[in-house]
Amino acid sequence: MSISNPIESYETVQIWAKGLTEQWGGNPLAEDPGKLETLKSFCAFMDKDPDELYAFCFLRKRDTGERFASKKRREELTEKVFQFVNQSGFSGVEKRRLRSSVYSFFTHNGVLV
Amino acid sequence: MNFEQVIGNRRSTRFFDPDRPVEREKIQKILEAMRLSSCAMNAHWLRAVVVYRDELDDELFERLKVPVTGVLMELAPVHIYCFADPTIVPKDKGNRVKELIDVHACNPSHGWTYKFVEEHAWPAVLKPLSESPTYPAMMAWDDGGAAMQGLLMAINQGLGACYSVMVEDVAKEAFGVPDEWLPHYVMNIGYSLEDPGQRPRPPFDSLYYERHVDTPFERDEKVVKELEEAGMLQDPEPKPGRKEEVRRLCQQLGLVE
Repeated sequence: MSISNPIESYETVQIWAKGLTEQWGGNPLAEDPGKLETLKSFCAFMDKDPDELYAFCFLRKRDTGERFASKKRREELTEKVFQFVNQSGFSGVEKRRLRSSVYSFFTHNGVLV
Repeated sequence: MNFEQVIGNRRSTRFFDPDRPVEREKIQKILEAMRLSSCAMNAHWLRAVVVYRDELDDELFERLKVPVTGVLMELAPVHIYCFADPTIVPKDKGNRVKELIDVHACNPSHGWTYKFVEEHAWPAVLKPLSESPTYPAMMAWDDGGAAMQGLLMAINQGLGACYSVMVEDVAKEAFGVPDEWLPHYVMNIGYSLEDPGQRPRPPFDSLYYERHVDTPFERDEKVVKELEEAGMLQDPEPKPGRKEEVRRLCQQLGLVE
């Protein structure tokens, strides 16, 4: 199991929740628990916790040690999301909704996948 | 819709109805509008490839997207890939200008004769220009104008439109585009599901001047009112309820919230 703590306790999930609240008001993650469930499933699929998923998108430059959002890693992640969504059995809007729940987590953490 | 309303109603549409196809005749009218645009040397560099989203296989479609354009391209049923063909002027050697002389669009009154084109305009101006580093900028200026005419025709027909970047190598390979053509943008077309206000723009007097750049062009409020009444100047974003509209669309279409 990749998540050892309550999912809401991860820093990146808190940033996601804060971003959604700032964007729409209220508490969107509490109002639609399906979003957190989707993230949990994706974490299991990737065998990583939310903070590790976020960290996966970044690499450090060999010469300076500077951290950057890796295109290769983001492409890899996109492919994984693609696989995750395809194995769900959903199609059309439902499928897009599932993908968007995962993307929303990354988007509100400042990572465009 | 009058001319002012067409300009006033234009937005970069980002929420298209993904299930409502665009009629082929409307696409043709967009292309017809592009062809009539003003263009230096009558060159008409713009080339456009109309692509139908639902005819693309999944793998190719994924390769044509970049992160910021993916959703836009998924929602818009039609994508018009716009390129410039820079070979026109070197190939034509001024012949398209001569066509304008033939139809009396360009006349001796303004210095235009066959002899002038052959002995001066082509060798001393057009040829060096087509080889200069500023040539792509010139093409981009004219092609941008042509594309905008097409885009306004889309608005005039009740469609929405939004430009996006293209993945040049993938698009060229997929659509058989000659290697020498230069990429512009993709015009995404479809029926809009949103009704936003006009986008924020820099203040008028920070952009335009009268006689000298020290003197901003002062707006006449009577003209502003006239354009408001004609529908060109409209309520700015955010209109009341805009946030709710966007959220509803995100939920309806299954997009990132």
